[in-house]
Amino acid sequence: MRNVVVTGLGFASCLGLNQSEVVSRLKESRHGIQRYEPFLKRECGVRVGAPIPGFDTTAEDPEDWVYPEGLKLRLDVLRGLPPHGVYGFYALSQALEDAGLARDQVNDPRTGLYTASAGSPSRMYYNLDRMIRFGPQRCSPLGIVASIAGTLTFNLAAAYKIKGSTSGFVSACASSGHALGAARDEIALGRQDRILVVGAEDFSVETILPFVSMRVLSPSDDPDTASRPFDRDRDGFVGTGGAVAMILEAEEIAEARGTTPYTRFSGWGQASDGFHVAASHPDGDGLARAMQNALDATAIEPGAVGYINAHATSTPVGDISELRAIKRVFGAHQTPAVSSTKALTGHALSLSSIMESAFCNLAMRHGFLPGSAHISHLDFEAEGVDIVHESVSRRVETMMSNSSGFGGANVVLVFQQPG
Amino acid sequence: MEPGLWSRCGLRDSPPNHQSDLILKTTANETELRDALKRCPPQTIEAAVAYRQNKDWELVPTIVLGIIERFVEPEVRPTVRENNDSTRLFEDLGIDSLLMVEIIMLVEETLDISIENEELRGLRTLGDIKSYLDCKIRGLPLPQKQKSLGFEEIAAVMPQQHPFLFLQESRLNHDYAEGSYRINGDEAFLEGHFKDNPIFPASIMLEALGQLAVLFLLRGQNEMLQEQVDPGRIFFFGCDGVRCHRVCRPGDFLHLKVKLKKVHPPLAFFEGSIQCNGERVAFAEEIALTFATTAPAAVDEKIHGSNGTHLP
Repeated sequence: MRNVVVTGLGFASCLGLNQSEVVSRLKESRHGIQRYEPFLKRECGVRVGAPIPGFDTTAEDPEDWVYPEGLKLRLDVLRGLPPHGVYGFYALSQALEDAGLARDQVNDPRTGLYTASAGSPSRMYYNLDRMIRFGPQRCSPLGIVASIAGTLTFNLAAAYKIKGSTSGFVSACASSGHALGAARDEIALGRQDRILVVGAEDFSVETILPFVSMRVLSPSDDPDTASRPFDRDRDGFVGTGGAVAMILEAEEIAEARGTTPYTRFSGWGQASDGFHVAASHPDGDGLARAMQNALDATAIEPGAVGYINAHATSTPVGDISELRAIKRVFGAHQTPAVSSTKALTGHALSLSSIMESAFCNLAMRHGFLPGSAHISHLDFEAEGVDIVHESVSRRVETMMSNSSGFGGANVVLVFQQPG
Repeated sequence: MEPGLWSRCGLRDSPPNHQSDLILKTTANETELRDALKRCPPQTIEAAVAYRQNKDWELVPTIVLGIIERFVEPEVRPTVRENNDSTRLFEDLGIDSLLMVEIIMLVEETLDISIENEELRGLRTLGDIKSYLDCKIRGLPLPQKQKSLGFEEIAAVMPQQHPFLFLQESRLNHDYAEGSYRINGDEAFLEGHFKDNPIFPASIMLEALGQLAVLFLLRGQNEMLQEQVDPGRIFFFGCDGVRCHRVCRPGDFLHLKVKLKKVHPPLAFFEGSIQCNGERVAFAEEIALTFATTAPAAVDEKIHGSNGTHLP
């Protein structure tokens, strides 16, 4: 089994459109949340969200979408793209440049593409509405390509002419974690030398507001405190979207190319709660076993983990599950440093696992731990867990990134300093 | 069907019994029409609005070209504006079948016509689209598609056979035919023409053109040849204005073309030309063939001789 390393990162996020911006905001705990007009005007009880700067994909017609100058999208590509496809193209091209990969390396049959997204509810609604009002013959021929889960894979694989393994992952908020884990295995097993992993999600009324009736979104009016994982008074999550791309390569291939990896992606673990379609197990049973599986897979002692990027979304129930799980695996008062960067970004749904893994990679390269912001009063369940409130300079050897999804899926990824 | 579902979808209470009842127009009024065409050139939008009122078919090219222009990539839009009939939809404009669907949808809505997928199959150039829509709007019969024939089909139909068949593939159009023949070097007559210097005889080049004209008579789709021509009774009648410009040798690929000039049964008159590697090789102002149809027809004694035999 080969070692796998991370060689490139790309961002289209509410914390910025490039690495250095993201690093500054993580270090300085500057969030990307704001009062968001499309939510406000619906008067549905949700007022804040975290849009992606430089992009506006709210128009019905993709030819009216706004995105950064440097991103060139052909009309025939745009017609089959969902909003998160635009973010995805941006992030992937940045990551490929970061990794120093040329076209012929991308088109090589030993290079694959794995993606994660929930599809595009906004495109689905637009196309189905037209179909019902005007008939199926009046729908854009690429309507279905743009709408269903998998759209990100279809579009990126075609545009980048990917000839290796391609696949999509759908497990709600654990999706991009599954994508990363499976990509790692594909390389470790020798089936591919390199996999481009892209997680993305629309940020739209259609993607976020269905969570209103589930009563899991924060009704807060204050962008500075709305997302506050682990705070005693937290009242739901804040939605965001965007895209993050990560290039994974076999360590020997990266060395031969002369590129310096961010980290070694040492391994991962997963396990399920077997409990409820949406709520997490009260004691975080699945997450605890996922963390244990990750430690077993990488042969790392609990004491050797320097930091956990928690899933914690700022929901009353979910954060508790995670705190209990962490204490169970690591022992109360012996836990690694823990924080949830969702305080700064909000919850990016399918994209959160890869985004937070990317944050871990940046933190390991730049020698800091991002703080768990916006905590005024720590939840009492956090007693015994070393939650860092503010970002701190510290170089750690090993970081873990947790993600949990609907149906009780839990994925834990382990990154270590490159050898 | 669940009661009330249709009305909840914004449709009538009873299920529709005709497809057109179900489909509402996306461009029912002028505002919607202008909105649907909003990225087209201004003259296209105005032409579309005017067409709604007066149904003037002369506006159709402006409308259709403007819609095509709106859908193709910016860098090929100047090519569309050149309005060249031979501009190829796929090779020159990048229009694949999916994009064609979108173009046709907007054309259907704008011109208020219905186009079947089948009818789109043979359209290859801007000229094809324009003549197709011209016929569609004016209710004329649709232009004939080009017919391609491979070697086996040609051999199955022609009275000439190996070793005297000089057509390997062919494309038949409404009033002209194209074909090709590669001089392979094994042709028996090359041994003597000339010894140690094989050159394809001019007379055989003329024969090849005549054979292409024979194929046209047998398999072409021209209204001047409504009845099936009898393959056993097509013969060379005469030629005029024949010129050869260069010699051809084994390995040369001959591109043949014959154009039907007129038909005065039992005679058919063609113009013919041969090209090789882009160069003009031979030209015949007129090749005349005599033919008969399979149905019994009146025989002209003056042409066929008083004893009723045919000319060789």
